[in-house]
Amino acid sequence: MLGAMSERPVYVGIDLGTTNSAVAVFDGETTQVIRNAQGATLTPSVVRIDAKGRVSVGAPARRWLERDADNTKSEFKRLMGTARALSFPASGQSATPPELAAKVLASLRQDVADQLGIMPVTAVISVPALFELPQSAATAEAAKLAGFERVELLQEPIASALAAGWSAREGDGRWLVYDLGGGTFDASLLETHEGFLRVVGHDGDNFLGGRDFDWAVVDWAIAEIAREHGVAIRRDEPAHARAVSLLKHAAEEAKVALSRTDEVVLSFAGPLELPGQVAIEPELAIDRATLERCIAPLVERTLDVSRRLLRSHDTEPEQLARIVFVGGPTVTPLLRQRVAEALHAPIAEGLDPMTLVAQGAAIYAATSALDARPAGPLVRRGVRLWLQFPAVSSDLTPHVVGRALAGDNTALPRRVALARDDGGWHSGWLELDGERAFATMVELLPRRANAFAISADDGAGNDVPVDPRSITIVQGLTINDPPLSRTIGVALASDRVQAYFERGTPLPARRSFTHTTIESVAKGSSDSVLKIPIVQGEHDHAHLCRLVGTLEIPGSAIARSLPAGSDVELTIELDRGGRLAARALVPTLDQSFEHVAQLLVPAADPEVLAASLGTLRRRVDDLRAEAFRRGMPQLISALERAESDLGEIARDLGAAQGGNDDAGQRARRNLLEVDAALDDLEQAKQWPELEQRAVRTMTWAGNQVAQLGTEREQALFEEIAGGVDRARRDRDVRELQRQLRLASQLGETAWYRDPDTWPMLFEDAASHLDSATDLPKAQALVREGKDARTRNDLAALRRVTEKLWKLLPHDPEARRQGFDSGVR
Amino acid sequence: MSDAAERWARNPLYVLELPISATRAEIERAGQKWLAMLELDLAAARLYATPLGPRARTPELVREAMAELREPDKRALHELWWLAPEDGPAPAPDDDGSPPDADAALGLDALTAAGWRRGA
Repeated sequence: MLGAMSERPVYVGIDLGTTNSAVAVFDGETTQVIRNAQGATLTPSVVRIDAKGRVSVGAPARRWLERDADNTKSEFKRLMGTARALSFPASGQSATPPELAAKVLASLRQDVADQLGIMPVTAVISVPALFELPQSAATAEAAKLAGFERVELLQEPIASALAAGWSAREGDGRWLVYDLGGGTFDASLLETHEGFLRVVGHDGDNFLGGRDFDWAVVDWAIAEIAREHGVAIRRDEPAHARAVSLLKHAAEEAKVALSRTDEVVLSFAGPLELPGQVAIEPELAIDRATLERCIAPLVERTLDVSRRLLRSHDTEPEQLARIVFVGGPTVTPLLRQRVAEALHAPIAEGLDPMTLVAQGAAIYAATSALDARPAGPLVRRGVRLWLQFPAVSSDLTPHVVGRALAGDNTALPRRVALARDDGGWHSGWLELDGERAFATMVELLPRRANAFAISADDGAGNDVPVDPRSITIVQGLTINDPPLSRTIGVALASDRVQAYFERGTPLPARRSFTHTTIESVAKGSSDSVLKIPIVQGEHDHAHLCRLVGTLEIPGSAIARSLPAGSDVELTIELDRGGRLAARALVPTLDQSFEHVAQLLVPAADPEVLAASLGTLRRRVDDLRAEAFRRGMPQLISALERAESDLGEIARDLGAAQGGNDDAGQRARRNLLEVDAALDDLEQAKQWPELEQRAVRTMTWAGNQVAQLGTEREQALFEEIAGGVDRARRDRDVRELQRQLRLASQLGETAWYRDPDTWPMLFEDAASHLDSATDLPKAQALVREGKDARTRNDLAALRRVTEKLWKLLPHDPEARRQGFDSGVR
Repeated sequence: MSDAAERWARNPLYVLELPISATRAEIERAGQKWLAMLELDLAAARLYATPLGPRARTPELVREAMAELREPDKRALHELWWLAPEDGPAPAPDDDGSPPDADAALGLDALTAAGWRRGA
């Protein structure tokens, strides 16, 4: 167990939840969940500011949630990354979501200090797998406000898997992390192999959570009351809100009670009163079988998502080594049993679904060497050794690399040696090289903290004191670089996306691409701004992705006017926590721009959302009519799902119109999801056409590659052909399109070697000369091209043609959809 | 030198100085060693050998290489494109220091065609 904490590193992990938060610490061998001042491991994510400006956090604040809702805020995590400030009218104060989250984090930080006597300065905080960049940035800001000097963010499913994997004794295999929160369901497929943890894939349902299970019981109770008492209670009737609230509360309690007993009577906090009717106090008994019937369709939906995830990664359910349950609703035995039966996979037992995420975050802090202890006063006890080694290692023989730093008048060591504290392993003397450095592999004992003593001498047997004199390496499961959860790219004027980082890219990461401006920017003009929108999402079209920031090059800041067709070298960087920085270098101006504006989740204006909802409903109607006409039952059933999702969105929209920003944000995100899902359905509808296109593309590209391609291109084409076959077999529209794009590009690569190709492409581009964005430049290029053609200089002709393409006009509608991007 | 040729020179197996038979543990161990040496700014870690000549090794490149080799599909592609540095061509550089025919000789346009992208 953890003890004498100040002598050993302390790693802190925090699960900053929507409803509850938790903090855990890890000492290199075991995790410990920290209890708060009330003695609980869960701290409600609730903040209250009373009339005198006093702040309370957690359970003391939650007690006021119903009595004084105006001055007590919960679920602010959903508003992270928005510009919205929440007001506390009694005190006249207001606070942003990061400020409120900071109060919860500060409270958890104090709990660690109370229990361990150390005020932590670093921590790992978990965030949902699909958090957008602005939400991550807001979480990091909250941590800073809470007093943390350094913080890393970690996706929740990785945290859960890391915690589960740490304690697991079994060997390699694939796992399913089944995370059912209050309002969302996330499924993650992970793999452990030789001690390393890898995220294989992720899927989820934003419309399904534990609260739907409660509503299923409420709906059953409403039906029973109607049958026995002839009273019709309606969930969407404002006058019935109080009765519905009592039913909901009773349903929640009954659901929990049925985990331990076979039958329970719903207990209401008061009589159910409906306008114009006699108050009733129904006695409703519910048994496990009934509860199971109520929640079965919902569980089935989570299973559909899980199976879809497994299928997309060629994993049979039977191949799963275990299922890890996360989130309060997964405590329900019925649910666990049903999921395990349906997937024929064992449940990872002995794990607390409520605190697993915090424990995993703490373990991750160790792998990132984020010791939470404040730095003590600097006392040198010898020559400083600058050492690099993994704080946690899956490998049993990792490297320790070191370099002696020259100090004041201190004799430098010639040799160093490392010895494991149990006496079972010794490095022998390691000679320092010309850079005063050494590198050696050390041997670890499995699944424990391994301490090594470091000694040094002058080569003649005289001891040279060094600092540090010991290091500790923990052997166990690791995940080194957190993967990016959503693809990040730049929206182009064509409404396409230039991907910079694909989903799964290890962080930190940095990439650069060169873009071309499509319009000129006038020096000194305040109206003239070149926009480079940065988007996040898995779609080829920018308008289906989320805008997370815009890098702007304003006319007021440039040294001289920038003509259309200028190069812009854009570099985007992401740190380990997924925080973004961007820099645009304009070589012709010799200037760079770094200001990324609007790193905020877009506002959810109810009127705009209502208009989008209307559009999507019409789209569903049109698609359904066509599906019936063409006899496509699969499409009809998929549309039923989209329609039900739109119903949920309409409910959220209603709440948003009543001033609930949280519901508005949920509606905004979910509208995008349904929009993208309908896009997929539209494409699926075109499957026969897509198959025909596949045949045409593969025939054309295959011919080009066979005649003009190199051996390697031919080998690569074979690979792509295999990918096309797999995508056709799985009827995977996106994958088939991706493979066909690759095949086309490969075909074009070969085709460009044909001596007739570039003259033809040049003629085509030159025929659009009149519409070029920079006519004099385009005319000069055409003259240059004609000369090159006369000389039969195909390389020059290619260069000219590619430059001409950049001057051809863009489609204004596409540009509007691409967030007014000024680059291609 | 084209993007594709540069991309080829960034083959993770070159970056980590590993043979195509490297195990998962060897990949992680090599990556950890290079990252440690780069952090300490040791000369021995700054360059790596490729058939197109030595290239600069950076921490980003090492992390990217480790991630690429962890994915079985991507690793297979890198193995396909791997040539032992000492077996590869050593074309004479032209004016800008790049071998003009290297792309065509190796079919490197195909890398661009297959969606390979230039990193920083």
